[in-house]
Amino acid sequence: MALNQLHFEFAPATPRAFPVAAVHYGVVGSGDMEVIIEACALAGKTQVTVTTPVTGFDHVWQLVLGRFIDESQLADAHISINDNNATPVVVSLRLRQALLEIGE
Amino acid sequence: MERKLRITVGDKTREVTVQELGADGHPLPAAVAVAAIAAAPQRRPLDPKWSTIQRDTNERMSHMLPYLTRGSKVFQPADTVAVLNAVIRSGDRVNIEGNNQKQADFLSDCMCKLDPKQINHLHMVQSSVPLASHLKAFELGIAEKLDFAYAGPQGAAVAKAITLGKLKLGAIHTYLELFARYFIDLTPKVSLVCAYEADKDGNLYTGFNTEDTPLIVEATKFRGGIVIAQVNKIVDKVQRVDIPGEWVDAIVQSPKPFYLEPLFTRDPGLITDTHVLMAMMALKGIYAEYGINRLNHGIGFNTAAIELILPTYGEELGLKGKICQHFALNPHPTLIPAIESGWVQSIHSFGGELGMAEYCAARPDVFFVGPDGSMRSNRAFSQTAGHYAIDMFIGGTLQIDKYGNSSTATAGRVAGFGGAPNMGCDSHGRRHGTPAWLKCGEEFTDQQNLLGDVPRGKRLVVQMQETFQEKMASSFVERLDAWKLAEQAHLDLPPVMVYADDVTHILTEEGIAFLHRCKGLEQRMAAIRAVAGYTEIGLQAKPAETKSLRAAGLVKTPEDLGVDRRRANRSLLAAKNIRELVDWSGGLYDPPARFRNW
Amino acid sequence: MSTWHTLQERSFLESSARQRAIGLVDAGSFSELVGPLERFVSPHLPILGEAIEFDDGIVTGVGLLGKHPAIVISQEGRFIGGSVGEVGGAKMVGALKLALSIFESLQQGSAAEAEARRPIVLISFETGGVRLHEANAGLLAHAEVMDLLQDLRRKVPVVALIGSKIGCFGGMGFIAAATDVIVMSEFSRLGLTGPEVIEQEMGRNEFDASDRALVFRTTGGKHKFIMGDCNFLVGDTLADFRRQAQHVAQMSMIEIEGMRRIGSRGAVERQMKLVAFAADLRPRDSTDMWKALGNKEPQQLIAASEEEFQKIAVRWNA
Repeated sequence: MALNQLHFEFAPATPRAFPVAAVHYGVVGSGDMEVIIEACALAGKTQVTVTTPVTGFDHVWQLVLGRFIDESQLADAHISINDNNATPVVVSLRLRQALLEIGE
Repeated sequence: MERKLRITVGDKTREVTVQELGADGHPLPAAVAVAAIAAAPQRRPLDPKWSTIQRDTNERMSHMLPYLTRGSKVFQPADTVAVLNAVIRSGDRVNIEGNNQKQADFLSDCMCKLDPKQINHLHMVQSSVPLASHLKAFELGIAEKLDFAYAGPQGAAVAKAITLGKLKLGAIHTYLELFARYFIDLTPKVSLVCAYEADKDGNLYTGFNTEDTPLIVEATKFRGGIVIAQVNKIVDKVQRVDIPGEWVDAIVQSPKPFYLEPLFTRDPGLITDTHVLMAMMALKGIYAEYGINRLNHGIGFNTAAIELILPTYGEELGLKGKICQHFALNPHPTLIPAIESGWVQSIHSFGGELGMAEYCAARPDVFFVGPDGSMRSNRAFSQTAGHYAIDMFIGGTLQIDKYGNSSTATAGRVAGFGGAPNMGCDSHGRRHGTPAWLKCGEEFTDQQNLLGDVPRGKRLVVQMQETFQEKMASSFVERLDAWKLAEQAHLDLPPVMVYADDVTHILTEEGIAFLHRCKGLEQRMAAIRAVAGYTEIGLQAKPAETKSLRAAGLVKTPEDLGVDRRRANRSLLAAKNIRELVDWSGGLYDPPARFRNW
Repeated sequence: MSTWHTLQERSFLESSARQRAIGLVDAGSFSELVGPLERFVSPHLPILGEAIEFDDGIVTGVGLLGKHPAIVISQEGRFIGGSVGEVGGAKMVGALKLALSIFESLQQGSAAEAEARRPIVLISFETGGVRLHEANAGLLAHAEVMDLLQDLRRKVPVVALIGSKIGCFGGMGFIAAATDVIVMSEFSRLGLTGPEVIEQEMGRNEFDASDRALVFRTTGGKHKFIMGDCNFLVGDTLADFRRQAQHVAQMSMIEIEGMRRIGSRGAVERQMKLVAFAADLRPRDSTDMWKALGNKEPQQLIAASEEEFQKIAVRWNA
């Protein structure tokens, strides 16, 4: 019944440090999510925390987030996601749009 | 059986017996025969041995005759059950006009009031069964067998009735396929149709929702059957004769206007950023690539998004005048901005759409508008156009299997596909060439292995589908649910909407798979996996393989297509809500109440 | 990127609560208070397994309208229908308290300065009222907000801006009614009991909630404007709403007091007159009321654009 928290850690090959202190993007509507990306000294790694009512898709989160980190090489950052049944396409889109918010 | 009748037409009164009407071989229904007698035309009597159908019909109609208002074909709503009781016999093939939209709902309700002890084993042959009363006739034991094309909201009820042994399924057809059988082995004996207006002689005006009526009436009447029409209004003179009164035996003004479902209206307010992304990919990767000028759009938010970004993104790509000029399509409200911006030259429609009548009538350069000034649709003709004269069908589905077969069938629902398979297939009878069709054929490598060096085109059949739907239901599956359904409902074969060998492109948010360019099934399956995202099928994709497919142009991602994902948001929509569609139409579009947002 | 300038021409209806908050005040002047980075989330939703939001569905902050500090409260309808729970409610209360304290501190200085820099409260409503998952806390917040509106009265104008998809219903409908000025667009709605609840309680024959045309002509901006339940009807861009807020900021407190629909003997008498008028008329539909007020062709009003409507609509008591 309770909300689930999932934790992930990624180590991008060519780390690019997150250029601002923090950015927030998105609304937790039905089938949607919000994200906060914050700069955080993690020795070139990026950590992600996902809070979601959905269970059983941990491996999909791992893959979707992994691809986002692959593409962006985002490093030394902490990503917090509040999810409400967002599909992988929406997750990818919101993460990209969050970077767009800071002109990345 | 004899029956004495006093018949008055104008100032002439004559007493006739029904036997006389039947035996003298008039190939006309009784009520018309009345007029014929008055005018006393001489016709060659038919040999009774060769006119059994007509004599049977005449005999039945003699029982109906007393209910008709003198000098007309009109009967009273209260007599409807009695009229049906007079003309329908057990075991008859009966058609209740159930189109995609316009429904002979009053006649259907009345048919359910027949006594199943007297009238039963009816074989229903009708394109759609979307009303509860259509299924009630089976539950009550009046009807027994069903041949149809589309069940829509009654899909679950059809499956249940089959399981309970209340309904014997003939087959699930496409519209054209069922229409064809009306003229071969499924000709209706009695057809219950509907129209907007009738005059007392039975001339019908079907409004812009003509849909199936002409075809049903022709199949029925020219095989000596009986046609009864419910109309919204009986008038002195109909606006336009869509069906000649000679072919209609009786009419009733229904207590309420017939039920009309706005099936083709999509509220732009519900289009998501993902829909916009996929619409951008479709325009750039398919419409522009092939120069798609003659097409059909399946219904859904994906195609609505395409329609709404034509005046914005399409304009920007310089595609106006190069794509989307001719449609076989219902009057989609979401196409209004593109029409108003001069994109579209012609649209022929299967049916009308609630609220679009005035708009269509005011755009006769685009829609098929009669001399009376109102549009006429025709499902049979538009489906034929959709089968032979379009270069692309693009639409959504529910499930696509690893081979590329797709279906909207789910376990527990026998819904049928309506017209989609006739457009979502390569029309093998086609012989005329267009650049899009020829280009697609040229790319179709597997076809060349069978044809040698003879050129042949190919229809583009595009399945446009997000990899996941609501509640994380996967669009890509190992095995279609249609198999389960076939087992449950004892179907001959799993209901497939579009077969894999007809599909040329699968478009997801991940990319476009150009299946027809692939060599053999293995490569096609790899291309499908490459665009199946994070579904079980997509997770089987091998990165190296996907990379080589992209290099070979068999799979294209938004980046490969040069589609900027960051621009994929609702601000690209030419109209963001229903009100803006009304504004685009200059106030001519009158949306149904449920879609209003002001 | 959501720059202030691109936001101005954006549809208010389409915008998020945060975009509205940023766009309603002068360029670059908005500072969010208790924003998402504070992670002040509902303590109740996680226990129920319900999704949470970092701002609990309410954006609060301060900006400027000319010289006037503008305290902004903006509800997000996409998060649990904009419902007001413990955290979101507390954020509303805190923002209103801040408005009062700014007012009081300005009183310490010169009277002219206090007048010229009088604060203003802007509340963009998008809610059905109390969040049922945390109803007690939500209700309490409603009561506190109501109290604060009384404290702010005749000191700081409170403006309700209703241009959202969900509109303003439930307990928040009462709150909106108790503000000084109500600004609406024709695409939004204001009421107490929501359409679905009316249908559920009174039956479909009484009110068909799926008939959206009916819903809008009973609760929508145009109807509320004709009946005097809202003071201003504006277009659907953020700029339209901002201009109206600017206009109110410049009005005198006496003028603003005159905008109130309830809260004085005179206002109550005017309302009672309207009730009597309606009772005599026995309208079957809101269009009957419009007609009785002198609008000859009600259908024309429904179809009219906002600009045309302003020209032709005859209002109650106008």
